[in-house]
Amino acid sequence: MSGSEPPPALDLRGLRVSYRNRPVLRGIDLTVGAGEFVVLMGPNGSGKSTLLRAVVGLEGTDAGAVRVFGQEVGRLPPHRRGVVLMGQEPGLFARRSVFANIAYAAGIRGAPEAEVRSQVGRLADRLGITHLLDRRPEEISGGERQRVALARALAARPRVLLLDEPFSALDVTIRADLMADFRSALASAGVAGLHVTHDRAEGLFLGDRVALLFDGRLESVGPPREVFDRPSSPRAARFLGYNVIRDGGRWRAVAPRNAGFAAGSPDGRRGQVVAAGSVGAVGRLVVQLESGERIEIETPRTAPLPAPGTWGSIRWSDAIDLPDPSAEGSP
Amino acid sequence: MTPRWLAVGATLPLLGFLLAFVVVPVSGIVASAFPAAGTLSGWATLFADPLNRDALGNSLVQGGLSAGASVLVGYPVGVFLGRYDWPGRRLLRSLLLLPFLLPSLLVVLGVADLLGPGGLLVGPFPGLGVFGHGLGGIVVVNVAFNAPMVALFTAVGAESASAPLEESLASLGASPGRVYREVWGPPSWWGALAGALLAFLFSALAFAAPLLLAGPAQYTLEDRIWSLDQILLNPHGAALLATLTLAFLAVPTAAYLAVLPRLAASGSRSAPRLGRRTASPIAVLLAGICAVFATAELLLVGAVLYRTVEPAGGRPWGAAWGLLLGPETTRALGLPISGAALNTLAFAAAAAAIALGLALGFVFARSLRPGRPGLLTALTLLPLLISPVMLAFALAEVWEPLLGGPREAWILIVVSQATLGLPFVVQSLSVPLEGLSAAPREAARTLGAGPWTAFTDVDLPRLGRGLTVAGLFAFAFGLGEFTATYFLVTPSFTTLTVAVYRLQGVRLPGVADAAAGLLLVVSAVAIVLSALGGTRVRF
Repeated sequence: MSGSEPPPALDLRGLRVSYRNRPVLRGIDLTVGAGEFVVLMGPNGSGKSTLLRAVVGLEGTDAGAVRVFGQEVGRLPPHRRGVVLMGQEPGLFARRSVFANIAYAAGIRGAPEAEVRSQVGRLADRLGITHLLDRRPEEISGGERQRVALARALAARPRVLLLDEPFSALDVTIRADLMADFRSALASAGVAGLHVTHDRAEGLFLGDRVALLFDGRLESVGPPREVFDRPSSPRAARFLGYNVIRDGGRWRAVAPRNAGFAAGSPDGRRGQVVAAGSVGAVGRLVVQLESGERIEIETPRTAPLPAPGTWGSIRWSDAIDLPDPSAEGSP
Repeated sequence: MTPRWLAVGATLPLLGFLLAFVVVPVSGIVASAFPAAGTLSGWATLFADPLNRDALGNSLVQGGLSAGASVLVGYPVGVFLGRYDWPGRRLLRSLLLLPFLLPSLLVVLGVADLLGPGGLLVGPFPGLGVFGHGLGGIVVVNVAFNAPMVALFTAVGAESASAPLEESLASLGASPGRVYREVWGPPSWWGALAGALLAFLFSALAFAAPLLLAGPAQYTLEDRIWSLDQILLNPHGAALLATLTLAFLAVPTAAYLAVLPRLAASGSRSAPRLGRRTASPIAVLLAGICAVFATAELLLVGAVLYRTVEPAGGRPWGAAWGLLLGPETTRALGLPISGAALNTLAFAAAAAAIALGLALGFVFARSLRPGRPGLLTALTLLPLLISPVMLAFALAEVWEPLLGGPREAWILIVVSQATLGLPFVVQSLSVPLEGLSAAPREAARTLGAGPWTAFTDVDLPRLGRGLTVAGLFAFAFGLGEFTATYFLVTPSFTTLTVAVYRLQGVRLPGVADAAAGLLLVVSAVAIVLSALGGTRVRF
């Protein structure tokens, strides 16, 4: 980094965390630029939440540096880091009104009352919760509580905002709305964000950049399109929704829409349909190959789907070559 | 039979027991006090005696001082236990239950051996002698018993605070002090208050410590009722004072029952979220207090054990054990010490079986009709409102004539031990039951299991640890019970606790300590065996 370049909002270098001598994070290097929104994705148990808790200071670290706009904060207590964590549970005061909950964060900064009122009003308006300000958290819905939690987090004027699966407990019908509102609220506040999720669609939709975390190690940091189009390993490909096929000693990733099934055909890899169904205009098949692998196939519903138990062969196109997992030490 | 009637049927034994052995006898005592209490002259006569006035004052002073000191010691221990993650945390938490399981006389004897005249610590530190007798000694005994309880309640309160709220506020910029004031401090204060109220109740009605470490000038209401009935042969005065005690107990008991629901939703967190901070100066201070406290508790027991083997009166090491088994002790007690040990085990086992049986009926009924604790749950706590001496006095007055006199004293000893242990047994079973998901029970019912089969196949195995703890509580409570037993006992039914007390007044050096040591060994073996057996219980 040159001297004139502004430091990133969040800069993690060689971050290591372990529980009872079991490594959970194995040397994380990651940056989040000013105003940037990075999404960290990975399966359950990969260390995503631990990473956020370590950044905010709720978990101790074994090694590594946590810098916020160039300032090392790794030895500071959570309340002095300027990094706000918003979790799956909103963590609101149950007996205080929505207004008081949002005002609490501004109050901690020591803002004058008039400024607190105006800031709460602005944030409530931006997040569509003005009509809830007099209610208590127990009187509003889960999605509304998350909006309140975000308003409270933004009222603290964080330097970096960390979001730990804030939508995972919510009804799928309100998630899209909430994601869009969250993203625009963060963008207009100009706050850098690091968001973790195990939902690949959510991550690919929200992130300026995405990073994949497996078993405490980062893989494939980059723009969503780039990470999705070029999976870096079989496990990354599986997480991103590809079929992973062993083809003549090579590992290949095949998107479900690029695979097909021909009932009764003896050509290609033989397999048996184990499940078939449709989601709207798309038909879905799950086929078990003779080698034991299971392949998911998406097909336009222009013809009847084969019944479970039907034998046939699968074909594919546009397969992506993957590195051999035995070379990287994990499948 | 509908679940409602099945539930009623399952609780009938418990209701009948409470009615027969608590409500009717105590009402009888109150009724017998009324002819005197209803007139001014009755109260005037009661308060004309300075020892009666002193008993009321002593109960207030000893209860207040002991509760305050228990909070001073127990609160930091509870915070260290509930807020920090450190090696040995679970072990200490288990050990804090020990004072409940150990005989009360043992701690009294430990204080006397350690800090009383000629005590092991008084030689090198003469200033500590003030805590070995009189009010100082009584408060030390009460704190040794009650500070662990305050610590446990505090820890439960601190753990019940919302972790997401606490972590959110910390990351929003709230300082640790502010997080304490606004998030986890208040529930820990409620916990400490609940513990303090119980500490007040137990200390204000302490029996053994004033009896052994002080004298009539420091008697509590409990000691005075015993003294009026058993020494001064004035059952009418005792009944009057017992009625006053009942009123005296009502306020702190009601306050305790009002505070308890605030802790009801606790215990979900198995380890503090904000752990790994044991290097902070506050944590080091709390660890130090914890270590001093644990050491002091161990010293009390250690002093008794040392006295059992110490050479005294020109006799060699361990001579006290020989004396304990010898004819002098048998003459002093009216039966061999082995007989006292057998009585102790038999009474405690019978009392535990009764309490456990009644409590199981109650929790079966609760499993049939889950929901908010109601009147019946409150009734199971009724024995807490009745002090041991009052209960024994009431049982002796009402039931002894019906049973044909003191020859059948063993029945009333067992009943009193079962009654006094009942609230703890019921709580040990019903609190875990309320935490269990109803789904597996409902699944069993839909698969064709009847209510009782679903209870025994699904709920009881999940209550495994609660069942062990409940049985252990009941049994250990019986082993160590002194107050009610001493009131009711006749020589042939002497238990080890009564033997320890009686041997205090016998000129056999170290033999009372040896009896206490035997009681400790019997209790420890019984507790370990029960615990081992309990872990193997399968349904």
